[in-house]
Amino acid sequence: MRAAARRGAGAPPVARELAAFTRRNPLAAAGGLVGFLIVVMALTAPLIAPSDPLKADFRRMAKPPDAHSFFGTDQVGRDTLSRVIYGSRSSLVVAFASVLLGTTVGSLWGVASGYLGGRFDLVSQRITEVLQSFPDLILAMAISMAIGTGMPAVIIAIAVTRIPFGNRVIRSVALTVRELSYVEAARAAGSSEPRVMFHHVLPQCVAPYLVLATAHLGVAIIIEAALGFLGVGIPPPTPTWGNMLADSLTSLVPRWWLVFFPGLAITVTVLAFNLFGDGVRDTLDPRLAPAFLRMLTGGRRA
Amino acid sequence: MRKYLLRRALFGLSTLLGVSLIVFVVLRILPGDPLVAMFGIEGFAKLAPADRAHIMEDLGLSDPLPLQYVRWMRDIASGSLGRSFFRGDKVSELILHRGPISAEIGLMSVLISWLIGLPIGIVSAFRPNSLSDNVARTMSVLFLAIPGFWLGMLIVLAALFWFNYKAPLVVVQLWQDPWTNLQLVIGPALVLGLGQGAYIARMSRSCLLEVIREDYVRTARAKGLQEALVVMRHALPNALLPVVTLSGILMGFVLGGSVAVEQAFGVPGLGRSLVVAVIERDTIVVQNLVLLYSVIFVFVNVAVDLSYAWLDPRIHYR
Repeated sequence: MRAAARRGAGAPPVARELAAFTRRNPLAAAGGLVGFLIVVMALTAPLIAPSDPLKADFRRMAKPPDAHSFFGTDQVGRDTLSRVIYGSRSSLVVAFASVLLGTTVGSLWGVASGYLGGRFDLVSQRITEVLQSFPDLILAMAISMAIGTGMPAVIIAIAVTRIPFGNRVIRSVALTVRELSYVEAARAAGSSEPRVMFHHVLPQCVAPYLVLATAHLGVAIIIEAALGFLGVGIPPPTPTWGNMLADSLTSLVPRWWLVFFPGLAITVTVLAFNLFGDGVRDTLDPRLAPAFLRMLTGGRRA
Repeated sequence: MRKYLLRRALFGLSTLLGVSLIVFVVLRILPGDPLVAMFGIEGFAKLAPADRAHIMEDLGLSDPLPLQYVRWMRDIASGSLGRSFFRGDKVSELILHRGPISAEIGLMSVLISWLIGLPIGIVSAFRPNSLSDNVARTMSVLFLAIPGFWLGMLIVLAALFWFNYKAPLVVVQLWQDPWTNLQLVIGPALVLGLGQGAYIARMSRSCLLEVIREDYVRTARAKGLQEALVVMRHALPNALLPVVTLSGILMGFVLGGSVAVEQAFGVPGLGRSLVVAVIERDTIVVQNLVLLYSVIFVFVNVAVDLSYAWLDPRIHYR
């Protein structure tokens, strides 16, 4: 322990934190690293992709993996590797944006309903209950059908399914914090209700908020892929992992490389984010473990 | 108890009323013209405004929204659920025709998840950090990350490559031809069962680990009971309660997941109908199927709540 502290003494604080995180949670750190690399891959897609993901090549249609195209080509000769690399862009943008949007809206709502209580809380809880009565994917399908295809629609559809989780978890935090004596002191000192809510209660919700957000990234990626697979996600020809899997069903002769690689990309990404999310949870709030299950059961008797 | 039952049922009903309102509002008020979907953008442009109005009238879409909602509720009460825009079939017939297959898939997947998840959870909890525990935990983390529909596609491919086997893809009910029906539902049920099983294994492991530290389990061991008896008779019943709750919540995973998994296997279940209806913008079919999925989800969770009194005699409802 002391040796480790000495080794990290000269390093900047961020590096020291990272080193400590890695020592405590090697798996989570590995997940974080892989997740980071996937983000880098998405950002630098034009530089690293071997060819244009949209360019059809009729001399090389439906070729299995070879030295020319490592992941093979699809029915119209597009390079699968390039499409998988570009596909990470839509997956990540949708996942980050929808989780950020959904968790933020849900959390702010949760703070308000936990802190204010009363009739507002009662109505909020009923609405949450109703929203949670839809299976995630089915609600997302219905919403994206209603507001049309395209990336914003998919982001909103997935974000709505994340709202109840943020609401429930953060509400329970706000309920506890509301009773603490420093909040009472603030109120006694004459702070207005919004001020107490935003300056004193909200900061306590940051850690659970981060835990929630990272925990839901993986789910968001799977829902995005499922929407694309079912033909109600981001419309083709944009390469997304879900769209690629849907495309593979249209060929009469099944081609394993068109199924295997996009799905592998989904699995690796989700696995990386899930492992990282578990580590973040253990670091920020050890009481929550095994939180992914408690979160699922969030608020119910268990 | 009866009072509690009544209250819980009313609560569930009011939730479903909210669900039906949300479905209705989302599908009617938000943009997205069913005529554009029916005729395509060009076909829509060719239609004379009078024709458009006429078709909307026929479909019952030009009436005021509250009237449309009331009509939907009446259709539900009468059991017909309204008619599909495209084929004119009654939605109730669609559900009766395709529902049983999806129901079988769902039930079988829950069964599989318990058969796989529970033994793994028990072994893990009683030999924590052993090789089998680590393998089981790694597998469960992995299965949480694998999308079910992809696993389904891989299974279909593998069966085709190695055994040259293709599952039948027509609607065959259990009572018509059990063997063909089984081939139809086993794949999706297995995939969904494995996905849930991963959660069940993790949950039962952590719950059992909490329970076996309790005094009464030590007492059971101290009086010389066999380990198997200690697990089955003393530890397990108390650890099961949260696992049952989880299983109810996972119903959402099953219902949503089955839509994608049915598509992956090409099984003609209710999920396929929903996907087709969403793509065709068949509003009447979509609103009924989404409501049906939510009804099942809510019903299962009410049933889970009620089963507590039976599973745990300490709980009394007032």
